[in-house]
Amino acid sequence: MSKSQPGETETETERESSSQSFTGTGLPRVEDHRILTGKAEYIHDITPENCLHMTLVRSMHAHADIASIDASEAEAHPECELVLTAEDLKESYHPMPTGVGRVKIGATGEAVELPEWALADQTARFVGEPVALVVASNRYAAEDVADLVEVEYDTLEAVADGMDAREDEVVLHESIGTNVVDNEHIEFGDPDAAFEEADHVVEGEYSWGRISGVPLETAGVVAQYDEESDSFDIDCNIQLHTLVDDMIHEPLGYDADDVRISVPPDVGGSYGTKIGIHRYCCLAAMASKELERPVKYEEDRIENLQGGDMHSSDREYEVRMAVDDDGTMRGLDVWFVDDFGAFPRYPINQVLKPLSVVTNSYEIDDVSYEYDLVLTNKTSQTAYRGFGVDPHIYALEMLVDQAAREIGMDPTEFRRRNLITPDQMPYTLPSKNIYDSGDYPATLDRIEEIIEDERDGGLLDPEVVESKREEGKYRGVQPSVIIEPGVSGSDWTDRQRSNREALDERSRDEVEELPEHLRAELREDGTVHAFLATDSSGQGHQTLVSQLLADELEILPSDIEVGYLDSVDAPTEYGSAASRMAVMLSGATVGVAERLVESAVELAADHWGVSTDDVTYQDGTVERLDADGSFSLADLAELDAERDERLTSVSYNYDHPATEYEEFDEALAQKFPVYPTAAFGANAPIVEVDVETGEVDILKFYTVRDCGTMLNPMIVEGQAHGGIAQGVGAALLEEFGYEDDGQPQAITLFDYLLPSIETVPEIEMEHTETPSPFTETGAKGVGEGGMIDAPASIATSINAALDPLEIDEPANRIPVSPDHLRTKLRDDE
Amino acid sequence: MSTDSTGEYDGPVTEEITVTVNGEPITAEVEPRLKLSDFLRNECGLRGVRVGCEHGVCGACTVQQEGRTVKSCLSYAVQADGKEISTVEGLAEDGSLHPIQEAFHETHALQCGFCTSGFVMAAKELIEENPDPSREEIEEGLADNICRCTGYQNIYEAVERAADEMDATAETETGTGTEE
Repeated sequence: MSKSQPGETETETERESSSQSFTGTGLPRVEDHRILTGKAEYIHDITPENCLHMTLVRSMHAHADIASIDASEAEAHPECELVLTAEDLKESYHPMPTGVGRVKIGATGEAVELPEWALADQTARFVGEPVALVVASNRYAAEDVADLVEVEYDTLEAVADGMDAREDEVVLHESIGTNVVDNEHIEFGDPDAAFEEADHVVEGEYSWGRISGVPLETAGVVAQYDEESDSFDIDCNIQLHTLVDDMIHEPLGYDADDVRISVPPDVGGSYGTKIGIHRYCCLAAMASKELERPVKYEEDRIENLQGGDMHSSDREYEVRMAVDDDGTMRGLDVWFVDDFGAFPRYPINQVLKPLSVVTNSYEIDDVSYEYDLVLTNKTSQTAYRGFGVDPHIYALEMLVDQAAREIGMDPTEFRRRNLITPDQMPYTLPSKNIYDSGDYPATLDRIEEIIEDERDGGLLDPEVVESKREEGKYRGVQPSVIIEPGVSGSDWTDRQRSNREALDERSRDEVEELPEHLRAELREDGTVHAFLATDSSGQGHQTLVSQLLADELEILPSDIEVGYLDSVDAPTEYGSAASRMAVMLSGATVGVAERLVESAVELAADHWGVSTDDVTYQDGTVERLDADGSFSLADLAELDAERDERLTSVSYNYDHPATEYEEFDEALAQKFPVYPTAAFGANAPIVEVDVETGEVDILKFYTVRDCGTMLNPMIVEGQAHGGIAQGVGAALLEEFGYEDDGQPQAITLFDYLLPSIETVPEIEMEHTETPSPFTETGAKGVGEGGMIDAPASIATSINAALDPLEIDEPANRIPVSPDHLRTKLRDDE
Repeated sequence: MSTDSTGEYDGPVTEEITVTVNGEPITAEVEPRLKLSDFLRNECGLRGVRVGCEHGVCGACTVQQEGRTVKSCLSYAVQADGKEISTVEGLAEDGSLHPIQEAFHETHALQCGFCTSGFVMAAKELIEENPDPSREEIEEGLADNICRCTGYQNIYEAVERAADEMDATAETETGTGTEE
């Protein structure tokens, strides 16, 4: 089954001349019309006939043994169709795969399993962990029934702080005996020597609060078991449905081909988070099999915030920099703890992704990098835009500010001195990843020019700044150049499940990268139908493929329809994550178009009995060079229909760009994070801190950005706007706080503060375009940039604003809440 | 839930309501606890009414009741008995987009689209009350809706463009501008 939505837009898709190109223009999106008219079908809108509804009974304790579950009263309710607990699951099904899988324990080094059942098995480990599932005729009734399930708990002491959890006084999983389920220490160059020889060693400690993407659409699933074929059809809004399908079919105990996962063309945002919704898919599928009816589950917002397996990075950093008197950065030492919650789920490699940009835009040759991945009594981590790079860049830029202060150098000048220069491109980082192209000094110069303008009669005019200070309002800005690693490879992502000791010896030939798959076929009416193997959640992939394919085939975007393949019809591929699609999908589109043109030429030449050299393809038509005939795409489709083997249905796999360049061989073979595009930018958020209230107001957010060739500038800007807004939320508003006993403090959108139109500042954006030499179209990844660079820029700008008060690193904790700043200011008084 | 004294289960207590939705009267038997948002989505098939939080923060479920925007997750269907409701599905006429929808499309004021119906409905009330809103007034008018994708920048532009377009249309239709 494949899903598709007609290109029902009546937008301005006329080609004005044959030389006009749609790529590179802000072609309005083909996705919009169905959304704007309320016709888009999101997962919440899918309700098959005869469908039942599931709800979950969840633990209200952070840590407790489950003494008993009495479902008798619930089962007696007339609307009750089914109640299942972990005991029932264990009879017929399997645990969900975890990110670490097997954990090595202490002295003996014996590896033990860390099973995660879809319903809590004997012990509940976080508030909101599902303990039982209930199915009834509708959701209202299901919740009535769920209220009747009686669970008795024996509460246990909980640990809700990552640093405390390392002490192992409270251990989440007795079978493994420790909360530190993974750690690694990697050195590049000779950091010990750098720290010994440098004139200064600067230290900093920084906290990054627990945040996440919080898409407006919660998780949803509709599962249908078919007894006759003994297989499942699962509609859901999971992200990366061809990559993480094992998270669903393995617990069910079925082959991948028997569990068909389809994602609707419209998903109400994900930002990485929905890769972790497999628990719901498993449970709805199990219930459907038990009942032999479709079962639907829609997560509600409180479930989502409290126990939806969807929080992301929560880190404590201790970092050091070796610096010389002349302002040369010599060495970097990064140590951090990342709190993954109750189970180490699939995205454990987000502790490694910062290696792809480990020194950001600076040339530092000697680096030490170490992390502890710990478990606590919180809901588990998932991915979120930035994938762990955002806290790293924040900690690094805070440290750079501190170092500048210690050596008495202007922080912008200090940064400029250490920037990687254009003549060093492509630049290999100590951690083996490569920056492809870019002029970082020019970008810093440009943002400085913009700031200078504001100093001259604008928001930062010295007179204005001075008079504002008298009112207790401190203004400031501190830019830096920040890199967005793009287009993750897939092979490195299982580094933590590999034998890391053996990686030094690993051969490049053992690397298996997943290409991006795209199909296209001619239809009878001469239109083209393309099929994506990835899923989308608002990025405009249908538009991107339409405009590129239109240019390559020299037809109109309105003659192209773009649909989606489910997990059975699509090959396993990485999919839409890690700033990949602009590069991977554009490369695949160019490739599939070439195949289609070749086929068209071959088909026509074959029909005419001439050589392919004697025909040409132009403007959607194949013509004989002797002008003795021509075929439209519709003619060709008709010709092809008469053949046994179809020529006009083609597919293309675009190989990951890093595999094409031997410069990446070392990183690939040793499973270091491989991100072959480096988009970059410099931000100047002009902040105003009210020292009375501790509130931070961003008066204006300037940004200069470069993501290589812009395929659709309108979409590029939209991605940057959205990423920056999420960065503003992370820096100033959002946090999943916890009490010491593991009770969550943010379980509604009154407590978890999403940025509103009132809190997101005016953003003024400029672009430069430095094409990537490594990619088919020159594009670089662009999906995560704002979320990666905005928090660091806001934090350093707060430091700058409060510089006259000489407070010790005011923004040393994210989010920089009014309470945090007031505490810092009060301590200083 | 039991509805009679004999202990026999006849299903939940329901009440008959009639709501005029996008101009059409709809009569249904509903439970008193049925949220207006669920009534519109499940009983009326208006899936453009999106449910994002069910506690009145995100605004994805925004509709107009008696010409005023309401968050349909915060009221019950029975409270809409005898009233007029309009949703995003009622905006496009004869297949062509309403100027607000058109402006959202042209300015790329939507990405995942889950908040969009709510924003379009909130923008409609805003422009109806204030045909030429300033940036500050747009901020105030849309402060009860959350968008997680766009960073709001293009939403300002969409509202300004729609207001201009609606003003121009009004001038053409009446021969006068709203400012006069």
